[in-house]
Amino acid sequence: MISKKLAVELINHASSTGADFVELFFEDTKATSYSFENAKLDSISTNYIKGIGVRLLKENQSIYGYTNDLSKNSLFKLIDNLKSSFTSGRCIEEIKELKQQKYKKVNKKVIPLASVEPSTIIEYVRSGVNEIINYDPRIVRVMGGFLIKTSDVTIMNSEGKLFKKENEYGRVFLSSFASENGKIETRFDGPGSQNGWKFFTDEINIIELAKENARKCILMLGAKECPSGHFPVIIGNGWGGVIFHEACGHQLEATSVAKGLSVFTGMKGEAIASPIVSAYDDGTMSNEWGSNDIDDEGNPTQNNCLIKDGILVGYLVDNFNGRRMGEKGNGACRRQSYKFNPTSRMSNTYIAPGKSTVDEIIKNTKLGLYAVSFNGGSVNPAVGDFNFGCSEAYIIKDGKILEPVRGATLVGNAKDILKHIDMVGNDLGLGQGNCGSISGNVPVNVGQPTIRVDDITVGGRGGSIDEYK
Amino acid sequence: MNINKFLSKAKEANLEVAEIKISKSTSSSISIFRGQIESNEFSSTSSLVARGIYNGKLGAVISENLDDSSIDSIISDIKTNATLIEKEEEPIIFKGSEKYKKKNMFNKELDKITTKDALPILYEIERKTKEKDPRVTDVEASFSMEESEFTHVNSYGLNLKNHSNYCVIYASVYMKDGDVVKDNMNIVFGNEFKIDIDTFVEKLIEECKQKFNPVSISTNTYKGVIDRDAVSSLIDALISNTSSEQTQRHSSVFEGKEGQKVLSSKLTIDEVPLKNNVFRTYFDSEGVATFNKTIIRKGVLETLLYNLETAKKANKESTGNGQGSSSIGVGYTNLTVKKGKLSKEQLFEKIQNGVYITSIQGLHAGLNPRSGDFSLQAEGFLIKDGKIDNFLTLFTVGGNLFKLFNDIIAVANDSKLMLSSIETPSIAFKNIKISA
Repeated sequence: MISKKLAVELINHASSTGADFVELFFEDTKATSYSFENAKLDSISTNYIKGIGVRLLKENQSIYGYTNDLSKNSLFKLIDNLKSSFTSGRCIEEIKELKQQKYKKVNKKVIPLASVEPSTIIEYVRSGVNEIINYDPRIVRVMGGFLIKTSDVTIMNSEGKLFKKENEYGRVFLSSFASENGKIETRFDGPGSQNGWKFFTDEINIIELAKENARKCILMLGAKECPSGHFPVIIGNGWGGVIFHEACGHQLEATSVAKGLSVFTGMKGEAIASPIVSAYDDGTMSNEWGSNDIDDEGNPTQNNCLIKDGILVGYLVDNFNGRRMGEKGNGACRRQSYKFNPTSRMSNTYIAPGKSTVDEIIKNTKLGLYAVSFNGGSVNPAVGDFNFGCSEAYIIKDGKILEPVRGATLVGNAKDILKHIDMVGNDLGLGQGNCGSISGNVPVNVGQPTIRVDDITVGGRGGSIDEYK
Repeated sequence: MNINKFLSKAKEANLEVAEIKISKSTSSSISIFRGQIESNEFSSTSSLVARGIYNGKLGAVISENLDDSSIDSIISDIKTNATLIEKEEEPIIFKGSEKYKKKNMFNKELDKITTKDALPILYEIERKTKEKDPRVTDVEASFSMEESEFTHVNSYGLNLKNHSNYCVIYASVYMKDGDVVKDNMNIVFGNEFKIDIDTFVEKLIEECKQKFNPVSISTNTYKGVIDRDAVSSLIDALISNTSSEQTQRHSSVFEGKEGQKVLSSKLTIDEVPLKNNVFRTYFDSEGVATFNKTIIRKGVLETLLYNLETAKKANKESTGNGQGSSSIGVGYTNLTVKKGKLSKEQLFEKIQNGVYITSIQGLHAGLNPRSGDFSLQAEGFLIKDGKIDNFLTLFTVGGNLFKLFNDIIAVANDSKLMLSSIETPSIAFKNIKISA
């Protein structure tokens, strides 16, 4: 870390040519990853990330720079380069000192993963890998892994404020590869948390996770190709929330809203979803994968209501994009590391639970698809078109699960899809992922209860759905 | 970091062999929006990858702390990691190839360019794009430049260096007609600061205009042309199966297929790491000299791609395809799909009726490179009577990579180098499954 005295000098130097806000973001991160190839520990990688990002704002302009040369000369050189973008002369007062800010702790103290013996972690992953290897002779390869990422961040700004925050992420990975008759199928699972070692010992069961991973890989290996067309789709809880993440979440980020480049710009107060849909982005869920005490510009995280009973009530806003929107940041500003200019991003985003049971939703579906889990997806926020690929799906016929199908992709447009949600379950679940956008990859939870969309385009290679009638 | 000090301390700490790779990079970028500079970025970073063999096992560390004071902790981490590793294959740190075709792709003239020099070009792109059509609501334009220096040294005396720079000009346009919004992007890159603004803008705007008033298409299997931009993503997934790491770990359908016909005889794919473009590299991540080679010749899998470890296992020589940092896998630099004789328009004529796919999305979720199965969101046009017809409403394109590339009608002659380091022309296929 650089000294507070130097930080004050740097901030004052940076604001001398007209910046109306200056921020230093210092990061010291250690990431250790263990990788298994079948039952053997194949590699361990230790990665040290340490550097500083400097942001200068002036009205709607953002100037950003970063370096990991923390010498005084290098930092002044970087700032000289950045501040040369402005020439109007000082418009904010120099600061005399930096005062550390207090805030409510979202992430509670836990047994840190860094204190767990490597041999304990290695045997933990190996138990899961072995379970998959022994599950079925058609399993030809298993990959396993464990990631521990510990990050200390200090944010200092031209308002004289200093923020400190710590995060420790842990994630276990299991990937199975099954092969039969020249066909290969794969299955990935990767639950993660900020709840320390307790998450892995008490909240998930590695053996059950491994069995399910292997079972679903073998199931999909033998599955028929998914039919295509327009029909109702039941989307499973937890990871199924990727539909909301892609179809709506990104378009509610100030990153695109502020410049009028989102399909939902200017629609606050309007119905954008079915009245049975309410949705939140909650960065305050204790020790969850996407949670933070404060965001990456020092604002406390919040439970932001985005949609209430189908009505758009709020966006995810960072301070900079908030300037164009006339809104204040609401704790949603995030970045992968000091190498990224921060912007508004999601944290733990979910559709709130409804009243239907999963059984009711299935029983009420005459012919459709039950998409249980997904590989991920992507979206074009300006146009609203999104896609996501299913990793596990079943045909529903006459209110019952008929058979598994592989290779389903759901595509649609954000403005349409949310209005077509006609049933919302009571089984809210969360799934962990890494979301990639202009400020890098950040850990996010996607989430929802089981929902049904009454009409969506399903892409698949198995002919028409009519063949199931 | 003082490299000699690292190597000598590694020796004192009983590392049998040690290696260090240092990357230094500087970058700058500028973007405009609504006639103003919206953002300007500068960076200067360094990082190292240190690897060492201790008690017959390989340990590795990646660090952005290049102070000499961190040498002891880096060596300690290498030893700790090596002690835990269970991998049975003997680790390899490379002594060096007999000969290297050294050439750096660093352009001194480009180095003199600053982001401010690019501003007039960005403003001109914005102005000319807006003038082209009243439906244009916004234009985003940016310029970025990156320089990198790479040094690879080990205790066998290997000492390799690479120095390169390149720049990228990017723009996206947003058009609104009634309630309908469409967008499009264009990008040029290279290690020379040059752009034909009129051609750039023409492509940006014309492709966007064509997206209005789409028509729907029936779910069916069609003949079709996949444009070079879209087909390059499929080529990337296809070629990932020629990794010997994948075949040796039973994760590629090309396992045991070297020398056999695996794809259409109309397809030839070379790997040309020594080609003079921004991706040129004369040594791989293990320090092995790279060389140009044919991977697929008229549909026959001529060779898999090997790093030192997989080559040893197969009793072969490395093909200079070791890629990675702390852990070395297998990868490629500069793939070239051999172009055909027909223009893209002649492919449309050959097909007469079908689809022309210009863009595919969602590859990370909708394409399984191991099984080859894909089902992807796509954009494109109808081909009617041998000519491009209406733009199509949202649809998906599905199939299996291996089947698709076994049923090629013809390869066009419109080759273009992509940022993914793949140079490919558009390709016409017999069977493209469309769901709409």
